[in-house]
Amino acid sequence: MTTASGEAVGMTATRARVRRRRLSLLDPRLAPFVFLFPFMSIFVVFRIWPLLQAVQMSFQDVQGVRVNRWIGLENYRGIFDNPDFMHAMANTFVYMIMTLIILIPLPLALSALLDRGRTWRPMAWRVAMFIPALTSLVVVTVIFRVVLAEDGLVNATLMAIGLPPQGWLTTASLTIPSLLILATWRWVGVNMLYFNSALVNVSRELYEAAEIDGARGWQVFWHITVPLVRPTIMFVLIISVIGGFQLFVEPFLLYAGGNSPGGSGLSMALLIYRTAFTSFKFGEAAAMGVVLAFVILLVSLLVFRLTGGTKALR
Amino acid sequence: MRRSGRSSKDEAALAPVGTSTAWSKLVIALLFLVLSVIFLAPIYWMTVGSMRPLGDLFTRTANIAPTGLSLDNYWRLFQEQPYGRWFLNSVTQSLGFATLTVAVCTMAGYALAKYRFRGNNLIFLGILASQMIPFYLLIVSLFVIIIQLGLKESYWGAIVPLAASPIGLFFMRVYCVSINDEMIDSARVDGANEYRIFWSIALPNLRPGLATLFILFALEYWNNLLWPLIVFLDKNNMPLAVGLAGVVNQYRVQYDLLLAGSALATLPIIALFFLLRRQFMEGASFTGTGVQ
Repeated sequence: MTTASGEAVGMTATRARVRRRRLSLLDPRLAPFVFLFPFMSIFVVFRIWPLLQAVQMSFQDVQGVRVNRWIGLENYRGIFDNPDFMHAMANTFVYMIMTLIILIPLPLALSALLDRGRTWRPMAWRVAMFIPALTSLVVVTVIFRVVLAEDGLVNATLMAIGLPPQGWLTTASLTIPSLLILATWRWVGVNMLYFNSALVNVSRELYEAAEIDGARGWQVFWHITVPLVRPTIMFVLIISVIGGFQLFVEPFLLYAGGNSPGGSGLSMALLIYRTAFTSFKFGEAAAMGVVLAFVILLVSLLVFRLTGGTKALR
Repeated sequence: MRRSGRSSKDEAALAPVGTSTAWSKLVIALLFLVLSVIFLAPIYWMTVGSMRPLGDLFTRTANIAPTGLSLDNYWRLFQEQPYGRWFLNSVTQSLGFATLTVAVCTMAGYALAKYRFRGNNLIFLGILASQMIPFYLLIVSLFVIIIQLGLKESYWGAIVPLAASPIGLFFMRVYCVSINDEMIDSARVDGANEYRIFWSIALPNLRPGLATLFILFALEYWNNLLWPLIVFLDKNNMPLAVGLAGVVNQYRVQYDLLLAGSALATLPIIALFFLLRRQFMEGASFTGTGVQ
């Protein structure tokens, strides 16, 4: 009797305590959500909500902020009839693929040359190559407008060594090469840092074993180093794909008002920016953004599949 | 991401493998000497050009030596543009942005690293996946949202929408995982509440990570163009990048002033970099090629 009622009293007391604790901000179970709250509220209001709004807008005729009319797929039909859209898509793809071709093998090879005492003061060289990454893209474009100009430093150097000067910023066929020069200058040092931290983790024994087996320089690089830094190559590949698709500041500022010769530097992002903030066609800009997001997703998934998927990331 | 191997101590531990002859060492050093000259030349040219009259900037015979320099361009820059304002705006907005971002990312990263609750993984993966959404898809609706919230032309409108950074969360989560669980548990046994534990146990242990992330985000804002370009139309509120971009896109571009403005925006960062090199390089390898 006494035990039973004692238990019952004990249980109500526990339940009451649980209830009281549930209301308290100090409850340990509540803590993670308190910690997450500021991030999540910003995330939802300024990322998820605009994402949903953008998708909605892409199906609407947006006149100013309030009057929206549903027009179905009209915006999407419009952009596929727009020659600029296809042009921008092609430019963006070419640029993105070229950055992959340059900005992965080159920094990887350079980091390998600085790995494990192959030369003196590796950190000093890494720092020198990294310094361009400290410049704002606005400053980068200012510098390259000056350096690549008709009478700029690059042409002066070319002439000094007996080569013909080029119209870097005035010839349509040199637009993408100029953008690539700029990207190489700005990003090689950053990608070298990624590869450096991957190379450091390759075990010394593997290299020694390869050497005992008679492997030399290039063979070691190709058969030991490259497979072992593959996760990092994948990571750099994916961020370069995403970054390449977002090309905006460079063509926007390298040419007055983004007007590259013959539209040869028109990127997807630049086209979206113009459609929204020059032509004020918000609905069409949103539709382009949705298409671009799907393209990025598809290409990223493709890259993922081609390079061995999640397995390679581990 | 692995964090090892960037300090000079680790460098020393990695003894050379195989036979690097003095010759091959020399060839590699020469290669990097040439590359470094090429990579640093544009910065040098910007600095020298910023101290020369416009006429000396575009010539077929470049004068490489640092001669004929004066600070005239700088004085004119300050007279013709509110450069001092832009600089100050950039400093306050970058510091504000870094503070806010580090605060929210650290708390969220800690929650995801150190607490087990339903949906933990789902939240983490969802936030990471959102990194793939191109910012350009969001700008139109973000623009509408900050107008509705009355945040246009305000510092808050410029910094808050970018503060929930998936990269920052990812970075801080990695750092928080490495905090010793036993320390946390023993503090719990001693009766400290969760917030006290976060404040006096987690945060002190996170100091290097906090510094790295702070520098990373301050630099990111300092260099950011697109979002502040949309938020600010008033010349007095703009940060440096937006102000300079306005000068770049003028009909007649004043390259002499622009180079002075660019040098003033860049050289302090390079100086800061040499003071805090480790944090800079660790942070930079986290954001990667153009990811915003």
